[in-house]
Amino acid sequence: MVGKVTRRNFLSLAGLAAAAPIFQVKLPHGIDFILQNSPTPRKFLIETMPGGVALFDYNNDGLLDIFLVNGGRITENLHVPEQFERSNPRYWNRLYRHNRDGSFSDVTQAAGLANAGNGNYGMGVAVGDYDNDGYPDLYVTSYGKNILYHNNGDGTFTDVTAKAGVAGGGWSVSAGFFDYDNDGHLDLFVTRYMDWDADHNKICGGDWHTYCPPSAFPATTCLLYRNRGDGTFEDVSERSGITAKKGRALGVSFADYDGDGFTDIFVSNDGMQQYLFHNNGNGTFTECAMESGTALTSDGKGLSGMGTVFQDYDNDGRPDLIVTVLPRELFAVFHNEGTGSFSYQSLETGVGAMTSLSSGWGVGLEDFDNDGWKDLFVAQSHVLDNVQKIDASLTYKQLPLVAMNHGGHFERADSGVTTPLAARGAAFGDINNDGCIDVVLAILGGPPVLLLNRAGSGNHWLSITLRGTRSNRDGYGARVFVNGQTRIATSSGSYNCANDKRLHFGLGSADKATIEILWPSGAKQVMNDAGANQFLEIREPEQL
Amino acid sequence: MTWLFMLALLGGQAEPSEAMQHVQAGLMARQQHQVDVEIDEFSKAIELDPNLADAFVNLGAAYMEKHDYGAAIAPCKHALELSPDLAAAHQLLGFALLAQGYAIEAIPHLEKVGAQDALAIAQLETGRLTEAVANFNVALAKRPSDPDLLYYLGHASGLLSKSAIDTLIAQFPDSARAHQALAENYFALRQMPQAEKEYLEAIRLRPELPNLHLELDQVYANSAQWPKAEEEFRAETKLQPGKAEAAYRLGNAYLQQGKAHDALAELKRSDALRPEMAETLYSLGKAASLAGPSETSTAERAWLKVLELERTSSLAAQSHFALAGLYRKQGNTAKAQHEMQEFQKLQSTIGPPHSE
Repeated sequence: MVGKVTRRNFLSLAGLAAAAPIFQVKLPHGIDFILQNSPTPRKFLIETMPGGVALFDYNNDGLLDIFLVNGGRITENLHVPEQFERSNPRYWNRLYRHNRDGSFSDVTQAAGLANAGNGNYGMGVAVGDYDNDGYPDLYVTSYGKNILYHNNGDGTFTDVTAKAGVAGGGWSVSAGFFDYDNDGHLDLFVTRYMDWDADHNKICGGDWHTYCPPSAFPATTCLLYRNRGDGTFEDVSERSGITAKKGRALGVSFADYDGDGFTDIFVSNDGMQQYLFHNNGNGTFTECAMESGTALTSDGKGLSGMGTVFQDYDNDGRPDLIVTVLPRELFAVFHNEGTGSFSYQSLETGVGAMTSLSSGWGVGLEDFDNDGWKDLFVAQSHVLDNVQKIDASLTYKQLPLVAMNHGGHFERADSGVTTPLAARGAAFGDINNDGCIDVVLAILGGPPVLLLNRAGSGNHWLSITLRGTRSNRDGYGARVFVNGQTRIATSSGSYNCANDKRLHFGLGSADKATIEILWPSGAKQVMNDAGANQFLEIREPEQL
Repeated sequence: MTWLFMLALLGGQAEPSEAMQHVQAGLMARQQHQVDVEIDEFSKAIELDPNLADAFVNLGAAYMEKHDYGAAIAPCKHALELSPDLAAAHQLLGFALLAQGYAIEAIPHLEKVGAQDALAIAQLETGRLTEAVANFNVALAKRPSDPDLLYYLGHASGLLSKSAIDTLIAQFPDSARAHQALAENYFALRQMPQAEKEYLEAIRLRPELPNLHLELDQVYANSAQWPKAEEEFRAETKLQPGKAEAAYRLGNAYLQQGKAHDALAELKRSDALRPEMAETLYSLGKAASLAGPSETSTAERAWLKVLELERTSSLAAQSHFALAGLYRKQGNTAKAQHEMQEFQKLQSTIGPPHSE
């Protein structure tokens, strides 16, 4: 029986309301995808790493569509050259068109995205309009060759990898489009994990028989492709200084951390120091993680870096870094001090106390309750599927972590997910256009999980789509300030995923917003009194 | 090889009979590492004089040298029949029997010559653990850097400890100590729920027992249950307010939860109780750094103190790294760079930075 609400019991009722789950778990109608990672007794390391999700509006109908990257078929007798049977529809990547009624339709074949090639075991995906034609293009990473799909604007895609020259090779994981030279054309960065193939696989753990740590395999380099603006890319990995550092890279995120007008690159490496490539503004990068304080923990120890996000969590106007890691470490929070350096603040922010047993992958800083502070979401699951036998205090499947941001301090909240998952990628976006950020998780061996946000409806919000003119059309790299908050325009970050490119701001009780945009071209644009609760497209001024 | 040296002296004291000449020839062959010649010469000496105990014992020594311990037993026994107090024969026979797995038979011979190292091994093999540990300690006092002895002492002590615990659990299964012992076993096996259950039962039975809360806290710390860990450490610090370790661990539990000021207070208390502990000082620095700009100098002092105490350890490397961060935050680039260089120098000697 519900009693009369008095001032005294209102507080306890409010407490109950605050403890309600942030998300409602949904399996959207029409999505029948299963992520085929094909685990085998031979413990090929690639088996435990896939799971890319892209949230993007491929047909510009205003609704976010979902692209899911599949692994492939692995058999115990896998040898070089590896074959993964991607021609079988069971192993296809899938594109699901979002329908007006909230359901999804599988348009993979019609869109020309079926069969990613039998030699490729899928990993992740990046989204960007690399040719500025107004339609988002797809870049799919793999163990094997990567594929660039040009969006033709008519609901179909064309594999233009060969022409573009971005096939890569080896073991690619996360990738992202960004404009490092501010020429208005999106360039492409691709992380590569290690020098591995099926013939050089190892099994570790003695009697436990499990996947080997990254240190068991040689390190490798990442890839940087410069967009020539004519539909082709130039591999500038070496010339830019990126290959000067070998690593075991899994995640990548972009932001101009020192405000010099050029987008920098953060790379999360597994089981070693992290890399921060400072953009020198002349086509080259200098790796400066050690000097900037983003390489190691505060104890000078390496990190099992998996996913990463580069956004401002404490509303001081500067992008900070969060890196997800494995248990017995803490998810790393590197606070941007504004002097070109960062301080490790996992304990200060409360993230450390929540994560010493966590295994994190996809990660996002999104304002789920629209209170004006970006909250933390992490897809979680251990790398080892038998970890519980090795260490009873750890589990393979885990619940996602949701932590609400209270003035720069994070506190765990109820995600609404009640069944532990083997989650990998996590992509963020407002799927149902209700002004609240939702999440799609990639699950090893299972269907994707859609988490529909039901937390933020009481507060106001604003969603901004950038339309670059002199800058790249997506406006990636722009720094957008709204009512004291900052977001870096990007679809990259997380792990293996591409997020909704729209910039989402929670406004709390404010019904108006002041918007300031620093475009990659150098243009500065200010809009006052923008109304709350709307999707706003802002076009970059043609003239400075 | 001490027994070979002693036998050479014995040979040197023999009379120069024909048999002794063969003994001398055998000893010469030993110096030239010609074991087969040795055996041949000592055997000839025995043929010529079947009562020559020295020849038998040297023949046994030659077989020992050849690692043919089984063959060494008979001549050594024969030597003792001829000369029951011949120390070299007792020693060799003890070694040979032990090497062949006859530990019980070896013990009286080894006792006779006071060969504590081999005697301790024989006692270990026969389950006489208390005596074995005592004899290993005596032997180690003479040869403190002997890795074999260190290993055996550790092994024997472990078995002795296990034996005592087995007795405890068998005879007093409902005692707090038995539950504590079981909890420790579960903890070692990383079976935390069972470890927690046993510790809680031990605490219920004897809440005043020292260290129980401290150990239970380790269970909570291992599973990152920091609020529970904090509670147990607080209970332990109440029981043992003078125990620096309890204060240190409570401070760390606070630190893990980001409770900077509580952590700092407890770590300062631990430092006062037991000064100059590098681990305490390092954590104290972290807590001070976490507590904000007003405690920056405390953090700096603590980490510099660590570096006074330890120059080349991983904790020293961590302190250099922490100082680099502190100076970087202060905008003191030169000092930050210097500390980073020191950190990297140490990393290059003690290994690259690994995850925790």
